[in-house]
Amino acid sequence: MRRLSSRTMPGQDTMEPLERLLNLVGLLLEAPTPLTFEQIRETLEAYQGDNLDSVKRKFERDKDMLRAYGIPLEMTGTDVWDVEQGYTIRKERYYLPDIAFTPEEITALYLAAQSGSATTDAISGVRKLIYGVDGGVLTGSAGGPLAMESDTDQDRLMAAAAAASDRHAVRFGYRTAQGATSERTIDAFGVVFRSGRWYLVGHDRERDAIRAFRLSRVTSDLTDVGSGADPPEGFAAIEHVESAPWDAAGLPVAHVAFTPEAAVLAEGNITGATRERARDDGWIVLAVPAADPDTLGPLILQYGPEAEVLDPPALRDDVIARLEAVTRG
Amino acid sequence: MLVVVPYLIRHPGTTLDEAATVFAIPIPQLRRDLEQLFLAGLPPYGPGDLIDVDIDEDGGIWIAMADHFARPLRLTRQEALAVYVRATELAATPGVPVAPALNAALAKLRDALGAEALGEAAGIAGAEPGTPPEHLDTVRAASGSHERLRIAYVAQSTGERTERVVDPEAVFASAGHWYAAVWDVEVDDERLLRIDRIASVEPAGERFAPRGLRGAGRPLYTPSDRDVDVRVRLHPAARWVAEYYLARDVAEGPDGSLEVTLPTATTRWIARLFLRLGTDAEVLEPPGLREEIEAEARATLERYAAASA
Repeated sequence: MRRLSSRTMPGQDTMEPLERLLNLVGLLLEAPTPLTFEQIRETLEAYQGDNLDSVKRKFERDKDMLRAYGIPLEMTGTDVWDVEQGYTIRKERYYLPDIAFTPEEITALYLAAQSGSATTDAISGVRKLIYGVDGGVLTGSAGGPLAMESDTDQDRLMAAAAAASDRHAVRFGYRTAQGATSERTIDAFGVVFRSGRWYLVGHDRERDAIRAFRLSRVTSDLTDVGSGADPPEGFAAIEHVESAPWDAAGLPVAHVAFTPEAAVLAEGNITGATRERARDDGWIVLAVPAADPDTLGPLILQYGPEAEVLDPPALRDDVIARLEAVTRG
Repeated sequence: MLVVVPYLIRHPGTTLDEAATVFAIPIPQLRRDLEQLFLAGLPPYGPGDLIDVDIDEDGGIWIAMADHFARPLRLTRQEALAVYVRATELAATPGVPVAPALNAALAKLRDALGAEALGEAAGIAGAEPGTPPEHLDTVRAASGSHERLRIAYVAQSTGERTERVVDPEAVFASAGHWYAAVWDVEVDDERLLRIDRIASVEPAGERFAPRGLRGAGRPLYTPSDRDVDVRVRLHPAARWVAEYYLARDVAEGPDGSLEVTLPTATTRWIARLFLRLGTDAEVLEPPGLREEIEAEARATLERYAAASA
């Protein structure tokens, strides 16, 4: 074993910031009562300069830096009479509570933190969680990070998530799918990820109704406008995000025949489409959820002569009528 | 350091290499920080009060006298939310093998961090992920083991099925779809494939050397010099086209319509897109595209006439 370096008594000018900060954290964490600045000065050589102003400034900078790291440095009365104010780091607010993650769970979180558009908060957060597992589990995790990308601005997503968990209201500009732009004020109830997109769900104050807003259509930063309303009893944000067809059990189904090539495309493009049978001529019949016939007809038309609606007859007639409108020009 | 130290105490003898990898800190910096740690301690800072740090000949790190740093720091609110949001997103993406572990981890995070860090975390939710593309696992495994693949692929733009030999370098999800960034061996160029459009796949029986193709974060459409510029007017009900496809030179009209240019190598998919859009959109350039749309409509109508005959 080799010692790192010969231990020297550090002078105040040569003392490095990390050492100073580690000592300050250790001191406040272990002190049984809050310590005044004077008491800290007496104990920590780093703050023992003659120039009180510059020492104070250094201490203020250190405090800010520690708080930025998330260290809960608090100011509080040193005794029950609050005569003097002192600094403390409460252990129960400093230490992470014990969480019994399995190695699989930690690996999954580690992958998740690295999966999206790089957010340093997610990565630094997960690093605090991994102390209990062997790092080899992480570096050896097969396949590397699961890459994801999102059409949502990450700062706006985090602002929406924070507002929803604080029950705050936010104001932002929003453009609907039809292109109408307006300013919205929303009591944030939840954020929901569905089919590759993030939505903010909440109470729209002007419209007095619960609405879901696709975050990629938010046209401004979100401004926190203070406390918001509580959601109604039994509220589930997810129920307010346009339901995907595969949730639509029991809804009508249309049968559409596709060429084999178009069938591959349709299975990927039309959510909930399932392969039913292959016809003798090689065409593939797909069962397609037909919750909304007004949008399904146009959707099938995008496959041109490589798709044919078999039933229901109303949908078939709708498609024919739309085609005739084009050929009559 | 306050994050690294608890790990090093919990795992005595962790090497510099391993710690540098797990925490993404360059080794020289890690070494410098450990030297700093070695000078820190608790009052009265006598030799017995300072943190003991040794690095052995194999680079193993041993820390003693640092019980107050043996447990990690809490997550900040931002960190807790970010981890929670990321994990929710991944767990709600189809075809993610770690989804069950993620859901279990999310429940533990909710219990342990509680309202202070996460607030009403129940409001952050993911939908049921749905069914992943049939060949996702095969392509992902091949990407991990650098296995060359022979695939049949249906391109949306041409509607044609082609046999290709590809090196799948990166697999990623974007806005609800899975993609593979591949090297197409026969055309000797990079291609981006949507995995749900792979009709069949089999190993080609060779390994490839990765060229470092970019996965997530790349543009989903690569313009080429053979592109034609199609200029269209989208009425408000068709504005989604400008979001869904690559559009440039966007100009907004007073009625909320948009004029946009859609660069494309082939026009047939745009002609068919116009069958879908009906009166919600108009072709401005090139004029020949209007005839193409009508021809597609006639061909499609014939399908219905023939079938009912």
